[in-house]
Amino acid sequence: MAQRFDAAGATPAANLFSRVFTWRRRQLIVAFLFVLPALINFLTFRYIPIFEAAYASVFEYSLLGGFGDFIGLAHYQRMLTDPVLWRAFQSTVMFVVYKVPLQIVLALALALYLSRQSIGTAIVRSAILTPMVTSLIIVSIIWAMIYHSQNGLIQSILLSLGLPKVAFLSDVNNAMPAVAAMMIWKDIGFSFIIFVAGLKGIPEMYYEAAIVDGANRWQSFRHITLPLLRPIMMFVIVTQTIFSFQVFVPIYQMTQGGPLDSTKVIVYYIYQMGFRFQEMGYASALSIVTLVILLTVSWLQMRVLKVDE
Amino acid sequence: MAAELHPVTSHTPAARALGALGQVLRIVIYAGLCFIFLVPFVWMVFGGVRAENEIFANLIPFSLRTFIPIEWTLESYLTVLGLNETGRMLGYNFGLNLGNSFFVSTTVVLLSLVFNTMGAYFFARLRFPGKKYLILFVLATFLVPFEATIVPLYVVVRSLGLHNSYGALIVPWFASPFVIFSLIQFMRDQIPYELDEAALIDGAGYWTTLWRVIVPNTVPGLVTNGLLEFQFIWNLFYWPLISVTSKDIQVLQVVIAGTLGQNQQYWGRTFAGSSLATIPVVVIFLLLQRYYVQGVASTGVKG
Repeated sequence: MAQRFDAAGATPAANLFSRVFTWRRRQLIVAFLFVLPALINFLTFRYIPIFEAAYASVFEYSLLGGFGDFIGLAHYQRMLTDPVLWRAFQSTVMFVVYKVPLQIVLALALALYLSRQSIGTAIVRSAILTPMVTSLIIVSIIWAMIYHSQNGLIQSILLSLGLPKVAFLSDVNNAMPAVAAMMIWKDIGFSFIIFVAGLKGIPEMYYEAAIVDGANRWQSFRHITLPLLRPIMMFVIVTQTIFSFQVFVPIYQMTQGGPLDSTKVIVYYIYQMGFRFQEMGYASALSIVTLVILLTVSWLQMRVLKVDE
Repeated sequence: MAAELHPVTSHTPAARALGALGQVLRIVIYAGLCFIFLVPFVWMVFGGVRAENEIFANLIPFSLRTFIPIEWTLESYLTVLGLNETGRMLGYNFGLNLGNSFFVSTTVVLLSLVFNTMGAYFFARLRFPGKKYLILFVLATFLVPFEATIVPLYVVVRSLGLHNSYGALIVPWFASPFVIFSLIQFMRDQIPYELDEAALIDGAGYWTTLWRVIVPNTVPGLVTNGLLEFQFIWNLFYWPLISVTSKDIQVLQVVIAGTLGQNQQYWGRTFAGSSLATIPVVVIFLLLQRYYVQGVASTGVKG
């Protein structure tokens, strides 16, 4: 804006022209200084790590031993025949499948049910917000105690109802659903808030018109709410899928990938490789592949979004 | 929404009874939801202020006694804060770690608000050749998955010599593409261009214009983004876990996970430590709920 104003004030006089010119150049430099710190941050801490990982992935490399031999694509070849990696990949997908659809359906149901403004809904909303703003590691610790096979709160409820104890985190079949259930409890608020905002954005007159046309509640939901909420729903699905695919903290705290590797997800496997087994080169190669998978997923999902518009 | 459009007509006694029943049902469901979302916190908070042996002794039957202490005591707190003999012997100093958590989170929020506001001002207002490529450079970082790139981030931070210091916990996060993007939107939508153009015409520089004209008008956006950023940093676990090894500069969350947990014997200490890491933040967020909810909602609406 300032430049437009200066240009109008410039005259053909040569020395004035050059003075304005250098002034303008200085203004550009000043302007650039405003954005420079952020750019340096993104370059150093968001872009360079990716190149660093790509570089490290073609070497034998550990934090203790430093860089070893150049081994080309050997790490990537190893992935193809790494049975633990394939289990980890499957477990990660299972976690996403357990968590994302159920969370979205429940969040939408809550958003519809709590849409009216009252003291009651305000209290329930605050309750939903509480796990959301608590740090995930704390939530994981407390839930590991709630699920505890001997002294857990859930065992207390089961026994009081005359039911037998159930093993959650120590059972191969129950561990992943148990972690997913906790994560739905923790994250549902995000989807809930976004859906509430989305529902508010739908003009009331659409529903009024639907009533005039004799539509029932289900029909207005099916033909007005759902289609209009679709872009927001897609956004929630995309972001939740990407986040859930990278689950780490609850696995680290609650199951350490067990029992029998049944909850060993991809990011936990990368952590183990790099920091426990001292195979940073392989861990870097795994990071790169995970990055490519996630970029592909978000690219595909964004294409679906575009098609929608 | 649809609920208000079909009001229950309460003309007949039967309809009135049905309405009352619906009301009761609603209250029951609300109470059930509150129970599901809050019961872990109730268990945690009361578990931290009761005698250790009470915790397991009162699990069955499941009743108020499972939660409400018979003998109230701050013993677990004194232990984890390193204020009694047991605590000192075990080397607990959660007060220091809680301080670290607050120090790191508030420093990041302050730095991030300064640098992101400057960045957002650049993108929202200043003229610069090739600006659209720079914004792409910023927005593309949205696509970089966070947890999946923590290991390579550690390699970079280590080569900069920042590991195992406050620098490791602060420096990588002093700018955020999400905050920049959100503030650009705010400045574009909420602040009339005439305001800052007038300041520039009056001879104020970019710097003065930003802090005297733009920032005072961006306060709601700054509060919202400050809260989201605080939450992001406060919740970090994987990053401090690997980037800091010294217990003296470590944040509380990592120390709790490392020294207390479901597998150790004294659950009261775990409850007390977890309460320390939870209660202050939950109180802040519930008080500033309006801004926080707006922030979360806007991430979805803007897409």
